[in-house]
Amino acid sequence: MEKYRTAITIGLVGAAITLLFGGWSMILVGTVVGAITGLNYGQHSAKRGALDKAREVLLPALIGNIIMGLGGTLYTFVVVPLTGKSLNYDQPLKLGTGRVPLDSIAVFIIGLAAGIAIGVAVAALIAYLQGLPENVRRVAFIASLIVFLFGLPFFDQVTGLDWIAAIITIQIFILLALGLNIVVGYAGLLDLGYAAFFAIGAYTTGLLSSPQIDIYWNFWLVIWVAAAMAAFAGLVLGAPTLPLRGDYLAIVTLGFGEIIPVVFRNLISVKLVEPFTRICFVGCDPKVDVVRWCIYACQGALDLTAGEKGINPIGRPMIPFTDELLFSSRSYLPWYFLVFGLIVLSIFFIRRLRNSRIGRAWMAIREDELAASQMGIDPVKTKLLAFSMGATFSGFAGAFYGSYISAIFPSVFDFSVSVIILCMVILGGLGNMVGVIIGGILIMGTDRLFLPQIATLLKDFMRHSVLGNVSNPVLKDFLEISVDPNQMRLAIFGLVLVIMMVVRPEGLVPSEERRAELHEGEEEHGDAATEAAA
Amino acid sequence: MQLVRRFLPLVIGIYLLLFFGPLAGFDFFRIVGEIYNKPSLLLQQLINGLANGSIVAIVALGYTLVYGIIELVNFAHGDVFMLGAFMALTVIGATGVTETSTASEKLTAALLAGAAAIIFCGVINVIIERFAYRRLRNAPRLAPLISAIGVSFIVQNIGLFWGGLRSFFPIMGVNSAAPKAFPDLIGRVDVFKDWFGLDLPITLSTKELMVIVVAAALMVGLRLLVQYTKIGKAMRATAENRDAAKIMGIDIDRVISFTFLLGGALAGAAGLMFGLYNNTVVFTMGFTGGLRAFTSAVLGGIGNITGAMFGGILIGLLAAFSDQYFSSRWTNAWVFAILVTVMVFRPTGLMGENVGQKA
Repeated sequence: MEKYRTAITIGLVGAAITLLFGGWSMILVGTVVGAITGLNYGQHSAKRGALDKAREVLLPALIGNIIMGLGGTLYTFVVVPLTGKSLNYDQPLKLGTGRVPLDSIAVFIIGLAAGIAIGVAVAALIAYLQGLPENVRRVAFIASLIVFLFGLPFFDQVTGLDWIAAIITIQIFILLALGLNIVVGYAGLLDLGYAAFFAIGAYTTGLLSSPQIDIYWNFWLVIWVAAAMAAFAGLVLGAPTLPLRGDYLAIVTLGFGEIIPVVFRNLISVKLVEPFTRICFVGCDPKVDVVRWCIYACQGALDLTAGEKGINPIGRPMIPFTDELLFSSRSYLPWYFLVFGLIVLSIFFIRRLRNSRIGRAWMAIREDELAASQMGIDPVKTKLLAFSMGATFSGFAGAFYGSYISAIFPSVFDFSVSVIILCMVILGGLGNMVGVIIGGILIMGTDRLFLPQIATLLKDFMRHSVLGNVSNPVLKDFLEISVDPNQMRLAIFGLVLVIMMVVRPEGLVPSEERRAELHEGEEEHGDAATEAAA
Repeated sequence: MQLVRRFLPLVIGIYLLLFFGPLAGFDFFRIVGEIYNKPSLLLQQLINGLANGSIVAIVALGYTLVYGIIELVNFAHGDVFMLGAFMALTVIGATGVTETSTASEKLTAALLAGAAAIIFCGVINVIIERFAYRRLRNAPRLAPLISAIGVSFIVQNIGLFWGGLRSFFPIMGVNSAAPKAFPDLIGRVDVFKDWFGLDLPITLSTKELMVIVVAAALMVGLRLLVQYTKIGKAMRATAENRDAAKIMGIDIDRVISFTFLLGGALAGAAGLMFGLYNNTVVFTMGFTGGLRAFTSAVLGGIGNITGAMFGGILIGLLAAFSDQYFSSRWTNAWVFAILVTVMVFRPTGLMGENVGQKA
């Protein structure tokens, strides 16, 4: 039994997801469950040969996937009737342009069978790859990951699962989290105002390619300008914080993060006049502006950001040399691949950065600033670089976001966004890119996929099965409005932060150095205690 | 030459402020003109600022007490203040007192609400310390801060949930996220005119008088408690050196719990006062209010009780001034600009002694 515990745990997590979505989701979840099981068992297996590893993983993968399938079974036979949905509620198959409605029982059977079969096959494949030599393994892993990620949106489209919008949002946030990871994870500077750089990237895009001030630049140029602006903002905002450490630094970045949205919200009548030429000295009415030396917007105050209404519409990317409108609000696929490309590019850059002289300098500063500066690392330069590099990637994310949504509002960039991104980095594991990506998928997946789905199911369940049987009006009213998981999302992020800090500060997938660092204090304390006892 | 080098940055800074300030409402020459034309308005804003600042100061005391004793920026404190206001609102709603009730009924309801809010917030704060901070006392410095941010989100969400319980508390109104009307139990009687018969261009209403008097009483009480009681002495000892205090036989856990209880109680009182003075409460007021209070604590020198009081009143005055002469939309930006400026250029605050940063 001990041997299958991991597989059962993974299967249970999968079951929780299929319990919410049922049907087609079993194929997707089955694949992921299979991949994780294969990875886990392949790594820990005592057997050496590739085929042996594959054979060994078959049974655990089957168990895990059957457990996963139980979730989908419960969805079809318990959740659907209880929430009062019709049998072919969300199960159309999109072939070409037409929708082919299927019976939910049929979808269930196909999903379950295919999910388990594909899951076990994937597990065997992944375990098999583990047994191969190092260089072949790497290539094969990356290839299978790419096949999966390329196939995902098509699968999503064909089965009508409709996760793609959520997936794109998750990707945007992963991009942000990767950037924040440079500042918090590598350089160890807690930045609580990271959304400010996201806002700067988005508003740069908004200003440079929208009717707001009548500038229409090409997206492929604007995205670099946005990244450069964000990087510049990182330098400007980073410079005054350099002498600060720890919580003071965190609070100052929080202050900046609060100021930036206020600025964008209120830059609605901009006019610059040289102050002293304006003063009225003798014999004139002080209420009338005596303008002698006007700098900007002299014809009348200019509305830069449209305040609460937001900048709208923002230009979409164009494919060079064609007039084709590939990127539109109706089709998600091009956006998916664009942001996917951005993430791959960022991972490539960040990996190179981390392993370079600069990256090692960041980590040295994080471990011990004094010692690092004694070794010839310039703390000022290193920290500023961390701030501006981290900001660069949020500039990318901001430019993409602005163009994708085609409208930006100041309220999108408030403190909770900074905290959500921080939450992703901390949950996954500070300073570890794989961890950060997993953290991002978990947090944003919860936020954009699972919670809304739970909320919908719960609402339907209440309406269909509960409310009719409740006679007490107060209780009925309470059940109708207050039982809403969507309202609880901030509390979930808060809980994640508290629990991670108290139980496992190094994150789910910690980097080795960070783990050692975080547990150092405890050991020291323990030593001191034993010494005192002795 | 020396003189030029010393003052040149200052001069450039002032010039830039004059240049870009008008973008954010700080139009120096217009403001001078307005004050010159109607000086009584400035005095009126001083009174309003004093009242608002007193509430900010009470919340700031909670930040400064906790920071003084365990060097933690208790991010959730502002949200506890919000819960205090919600508790007071709930109790007042339960007593059924409205603006037309008799004076004694109103007084009873306000006292009841105050007692409930004070006890509730104190207990909540102790629970927060027990579960979210205690285990992190020896962790790296950033761990408890992140935990505190998490708690702040949880508490804010509790406020949102509470605000949606219209089925049990009709006073919460229809929408859970919308601002809630807080019954005006004090009323606006002009003290100068109606009590003393003076005809002044400015007004000091009973509301402002209540807030200022209660805040002053709380501050004096806290000061006495910290200075002259045994537990106050223990608190000061713990703040000075935790390990040494422990060796001297002070129960550190108890002292820290008591500090959180005290801070929470003050936040509860501030919550009631905020509701009675502003007559509106909303679940996000903990975040903005909390940051304002934290700014005042930093301004006065964090860890310093007198500093927090003066910082709070200063921030209240600044906010009132900004609301009147800059633009209320920019007030938050100015407050945070002060926070950043103080932290960068004088991290010890206006009245703080130099304790040095411990990273």
